[in-house]
Amino acid sequence: MRLPRLRPRRPVGEGPDMGLMQLDVPEASGGYSHYGVLARFRTAKELYRACEAVRDAGYSKWDALTPFPVHGLEKAMGLKPSKLPFVVLATGLGGAGLGFGLQSWVHIMAYPLVISGKPLFTWPAFVPVTFELGVLGAALGAVLGMFAFNKLPTYHHPLFRSPNFARVTDDGLFIAIEAWDPKYDDQDTAEFLSGLGAAEVEHVPIEDPADDGDGAEGA
Amino acid sequence: MAHGPRIVDLDRLVIRPGSGWERLPPVAGAVGVVFTALSIVLARGSGESTKQFFHSWLVAVVFFLCIGLGCLFFVLIHHATKAGWGVVVRRLAENLACTVPVLAVLFIPVVALGMYDLFHWTHADAVAHDRLLRVKEPWLNETGFWIRTGIYFVVWSGLALYFRNASRRQDDSGDETLSHRMARFSPVAVALFAVTLTFAGFDWLMSLEPHWYSTMFGVYFFAGTVVSAFAALTVLTLAFERSGHFRGVITGEHFHDLGKLLFAFTVFWAYIAFSQFFLIWYANIPEETNWFLSRLHGTDLNPADWRPATMLLAIGHFAVPFFFLMPRTIKRNRTLLLVGALWMLAMHLWDVFWLVMPNLHREMTFSLLDLTCLLGVGGVFLATAGWLLNRGSLVPSRDPRLVESLAFENI
Amino acid sequence: MAQSQDNTHEPVAGRAPLIVGGYDFRSLTEAVAEPVERKTPIGWWLFFLPSLAMLGLFGVSIGWLFWEGTGIWGLNNPVNWGFAIVNFVFWVGIGHAGTLISAILFLFRQKWRTSINRAAEAMTIFAVMCALVFPGIHVGRVWVAYWMFPLPNQMDMWPNFRSPLIWDVFAVSIYGTVSLMFWYVGLIPDLATIRDRAKTRIKQIAYGVFALGWRGSHRNWLHYERAYLMLAGLATPLVLSVHSVVSMDFATAQLPGWHTTIFPPYFVAGAIFSGFAMVMTLMLICRVVFKMEDIITMRHLENMAKIMLLTGCMVGYAYGIEMFIAWYSGNPYEQFAFANRALGPYAWAYWIMVSCNVITPQLFWFKKMRNHIGWLFISSILINIGMWFERFVIVTSSLHRDFLPANWDYYQATFWDFASLIGSFGLFFTMFCLFARFLPLVATAEVKTVLPEADPHQGEELVRVVRGGGDAAAAPQAAPAGGGGA
Repeated sequence: MRLPRLRPRRPVGEGPDMGLMQLDVPEASGGYSHYGVLARFRTAKELYRACEAVRDAGYSKWDALTPFPVHGLEKAMGLKPSKLPFVVLATGLGGAGLGFGLQSWVHIMAYPLVISGKPLFTWPAFVPVTFELGVLGAALGAVLGMFAFNKLPTYHHPLFRSPNFARVTDDGLFIAIEAWDPKYDDQDTAEFLSGLGAAEVEHVPIEDPADDGDGAEGA
Repeated sequence: MAHGPRIVDLDRLVIRPGSGWERLPPVAGAVGVVFTALSIVLARGSGESTKQFFHSWLVAVVFFLCIGLGCLFFVLIHHATKAGWGVVVRRLAENLACTVPVLAVLFIPVVALGMYDLFHWTHADAVAHDRLLRVKEPWLNETGFWIRTGIYFVVWSGLALYFRNASRRQDDSGDETLSHRMARFSPVAVALFAVTLTFAGFDWLMSLEPHWYSTMFGVYFFAGTVVSAFAALTVLTLAFERSGHFRGVITGEHFHDLGKLLFAFTVFWAYIAFSQFFLIWYANIPEETNWFLSRLHGTDLNPADWRPATMLLAIGHFAVPFFFLMPRTIKRNRTLLLVGALWMLAMHLWDVFWLVMPNLHREMTFSLLDLTCLLGVGGVFLATAGWLLNRGSLVPSRDPRLVESLAFENI
Repeated sequence: MAQSQDNTHEPVAGRAPLIVGGYDFRSLTEAVAEPVERKTPIGWWLFFLPSLAMLGLFGVSIGWLFWEGTGIWGLNNPVNWGFAIVNFVFWVGIGHAGTLISAILFLFRQKWRTSINRAAEAMTIFAVMCALVFPGIHVGRVWVAYWMFPLPNQMDMWPNFRSPLIWDVFAVSIYGTVSLMFWYVGLIPDLATIRDRAKTRIKQIAYGVFALGWRGSHRNWLHYERAYLMLAGLATPLVLSVHSVVSMDFATAQLPGWHTTIFPPYFVAGAIFSGFAMVMTLMLICRVVFKMEDIITMRHLENMAKIMLLTGCMVGYAYGIEMFIAWYSGNPYEQFAFANRALGPYAWAYWIMVSCNVITPQLFWFKKMRNHIGWLFISSILINIGMWFERFVIVTSSLHRDFLPANWDYYQATFWDFASLIGSFGLFFTMFCLFARFLPLVATAEVKTVLPEADPHQGEELVRVVRGGGDAAAAPQAAPAGGGGA
């Protein structure tokens, strides 16, 4: 997973430019006729098998889309573990360090005041706030880091053009293979997915056919 | 998963004939007897060394007792929560818990002989001149002390034996009602355990300094107990895996869970220890701070003072394992997890030493008796554990949740 | 109880179902989304309007307080902390059950939490809101309340970080922030569900904006689940620290009855105890009003009762140890403080506390009582009353007998004390009503994962147990993949 680009890039589709972070679509993608193939599977078990097959077939630009996290699917998809823990460790230690530094600075340098006969550098008394700020830092790191890794918010996505796709937040278990995958082929990939037992297979357009420039809505 | 099911042969989950585990009871027993005898010889040197012997012996017995009691707690909680993941290691805990009656035999006579050397409140002349000790006499008197100690050991031994026996009966009969019965009884057992452990901590450790009191002390004793038990359980499980007994039974998933619990209780211990210190330090009331003063006096770097010992506890019992045990990879790596578990055992020993020894030495002092007593009690402890482990299956082989435990996977 | 299926008996082999009623993914979505989408039921107004009236009372009492000052409360010289602190500690405590359910039970793989965690987390946030009001308004000169924050100012003045009251500011506000983030992260997939089902444009945009364009991508779920796990891991020590810090408001002092080392864990146990009682009250109402008896099942209620029994016993343990050590200390001030608690002018409050908090949950030793809806409801109310009185006892009974007998006095609450207490319930229930009306009450995406068909290895045999030299026919026991939590 790459961190989001700082330089905004026009998405390939002509949808409204709502996303703060743009789709990771190659520059040359203007030439693709479709976003890719979307296949729906009936059960989590079938989806799991299909993901193993897609992984083993050597596809790299593809995704599984499900209403809930399917246990262990990242293994079937061959995904690497998330790097998020490192972000969280760094922001957590940063928060704690900042907290301890602030308190020490306030009590030793900025506003030295002897209270209840204790020394200026009363480190035990700094522990609660240090701890709290460490947790705050780590939690912010976890949430914002997750948003960054996932490129959220991304209000527009070509998959939303498929009328079927609304089921992804209900009971639909999908695999989407993107057109810019080196192994992708309009016909073969679709057949490959239906061969894996997909209930429905469709091509998702990259541009809304009825799009007049601002008509397509992501939300 | 494309590959077929993992096959686990339950009849082979006993200690193999000819393995080192068979020789453990006699070897460890011999070590125990030899070093106990040596300790007694050393103790007879002078009045000082007798005092040293009783303190060192208390440290050693309490240390191993903590392991047994913590394992008992694990068994009780396992039944109370109807847990599935840990069935494969539960028998090891059941066996370690059953060392408690043997440790009672090591505890009672020696402490009885050493009452005067260990507990200031037994000195009649001191009580006569000390209002506080007089006020506490209804609690701090030898009769009461021994009645209570008897109750603690009877309760613990009874619970440990009951849960081990019921579980072993299930090995033979496969009777599922035994699981229900243990699950039903365990909450009551937890309540009994909590009360007895608290007061054992008060009686045996807190009353070493009879003027001092802390409502948290029972919880502190409990936290250290559980840390040492999870460390010991991890070490024992790893040892059985190394000797080839648990192949295909214990997986990285189980070690991951043991590591998580070890980590969690290490943090819990730190939370309790810091809260106790912090509140007393902050309020700074003379009758409370005394106890910490004797453990914090001196300078940071002088090894003769207790202050570095306290710092070692803070760093070694919390800061180091906190960062060491945090990553997932370490908990799933056998060698590194073994290092972490052994380290926590050593730190728990240090904790008990730190609780007891300032009662004897104003300055931090090591003695040869510390080592010989530890080896003496440890030998007997290991011999008992080894003897128990050699009897019957190493896992509850007909526990209805055994299969769930074998197949367990972390989130 | 007209249950479609009893799932409170745990079989020894395998696990009882967590939800009953034969739900599949689609019908579950329907059941959870339906209350959000249908017309506002009349019953909702019956809860909402009285809550709003109570909230109005809160506004009036705060307004009068600002106008007139803290003199409108019953505070006097030794008892200079009254209802405001009692209410503050009470509300912070209520919040703790939400975090316990969402974070600690998550770490312990207690999958039954999925049916109640959303509502419990929401409750946490609203309880923290109520709690934060009190320290804000009771400072007296509210216009300088910002001195509590480390803000650079023209006086070059900084807060005293050695003061437990400043730790409170940090602990509780950070607790609120982290709880809000945790709750929101959990909501994202469900907001997307409502977005995709929404018929009107306003709803599509309103829910869509907050759903962030979530599309269930597994490359997203990977980071999402990791973030969720780590938030749970962070919230667990956080929740312990928050009530520990609150307890230190008292325990760092030298006042007998306040200064005792067991306060941090004892406060945490009490907080979870009271919080579970509140979750129980709310869930018993919600499952009836929103017809969710099959999702929030008897088993959920029974498990909550068990946790109330456990934490009730912990609280009882702490009461007992406090009494014992007060006597054992030999310190006459300690001994007096505790004898005075049980026998002095506030003995009535002490015994209300003991009977509600220690005796009431003891009935939960019996399965019959754990499965008795009526008793669950009554006991949850009693425990909430008892836990409020616990804080009242701690605050007033220790303060009203000062070290100087000349200062001794009796604290009597005034109308405005009660008005702000009742008013804070108004704030809490108003927020909860709004939540139950406009957001999915149950974490749908999480409940879906505990349905059997969500398991990709359903029915596969992972481990085969044999006895005696690999003879598979001897006594094979198959492992059904993915057993549920206890």
